Amino acid sequence: MEEWDEVEVPDNVKDIFIEMKNTAELMVDLAYSSVLLKEEEIAEEVLELEEYLDLLNYHLMMRAVLSARNIHEAEQITSILHMGRAINDISDAAADLAQMVLEEDRLHPIITEAILESEETIGRIRVSPESVLVGKTFEEVDLAANTGVWIIAVRRGKRWIFDPEGDFKVMPEDVLIGRGTRTALDYLKEIAMGRIKVIGSEV
Amino acid sequence: MTEEEDIREYLVEMKDLSALMVDLAFSSVMYNSDEIAEEVYLLEERMDDMTLTVKKLALREAKKEEEPERLLSVIDLADINERIADAAYSIADIVLRDIEPHPIIRAIMEETEEELGRVRVHPGSVLIGKTLQQLKLPSKTGTRILAIKRGNRYIYNPGKGDWIEEGDVLIAVSSDMDKLRKLAGEDVDEE
Repeated sequence: MEEWDEVEVPDNVKDIFIEMKNTAELMVDLAYSSVLLKEEEIAEEVLELEEYLDLLNYHLMMRAVLSARNIHEAEQITSILHMGRAINDISDAAADLAQMVLEEDRLHPIITEAILESEETIGRIRVSPESVLVGKTFEEVDLAANTGVWIIAVRRGKRWIFDPEGDFKVMPEDVLIGRGTRTALDYLKEIAMGRIKVIGSEV
Repeated sequence: MTEEEDIREYLVEMKDLSALMVDLAFSSVMYNSDEIAEEVYLLEERMDDMTLTVKKLALREAKKEEEPERLLSVIDLADINERIADAAYSIADIVLRDIEPHPIIRAIMEETEEELGRVRVHPGSVLIGKTLQQLKLPSKTGTRILAIKRGNRYIYNPGKGDWIEEGDVLIAVSSDMDKLRKLAGEDVDEE
């Protein structure tokens, strides 16, 4: 495991902020995935991200405080701290959700049903060797724009890749964990099974 | 309807709403929109009511269950959604309070010509009865609809197959909000 001292943190307030927002949103998605799929490894990733977010928030506070030169600026800076804390609250809530998976036997079946029925749900999509996705990077296929599904994690063999980057290349038998509406997820499934051969031919 | 069905429906709505609120909260800050921040405020009150209702229902349901402890997870999930909603409200509150936010908060959200707002669809509007696919709002008016508010319900991230009805309130980001208001039959000079 990495030491937190060695973890890179963006070096300005703006980038730290964006990183915090993205991390918190990813955590909520992953937390729901872990509950729905009963995957402890995803839940553990959420808990690690929670520590990372704490670190980001700490850096945000330090930099924000450092930058105040007078009362007026200090007052404005409270809005940054305020927002950092709110984002941190979201990440704490996501971590508690993930924690529910780790403390097994506690989940009522209503919970999975509710996640499946919500407007944006989570889907698990296996990539068949015949799919046009194989061999392409996420940047090339741009699934968010072309199918409405956000890929939040990929399982390759026994390994998990969380929040895959644009240069991630899809391989046969990869299992994509995505967030989207039922319709969007079904559409992506058709592509992943190789039944739909063109991506993004909307209209 | 059984209590179990009730609970499930509430949980679905709470999950949808809390996600919508986070989206709207960040958007309200990004576009400095009081309107949308107020929308988040209203939703937050609704979330509070729903949380209490779910907790009561869960306790009632527990009497009938073989393993009543499992209902704890239902209460936990309601709580978690309420906390996310509270955080969203706290973000939107930056727009609503008097203290001017730090310039960096606006800078984060990048320079944009777009505007965020609520548009009510009036009787006779050309939008009524059309699906988003037919309307092609993104290409024709530079408009992205974040949500459609229909009565008390929200259609979050509406898709191509969703249609617009009279009385709907569109929560939208647009580079030409006036055009969207006109299409919706609103008097543009009204505000």
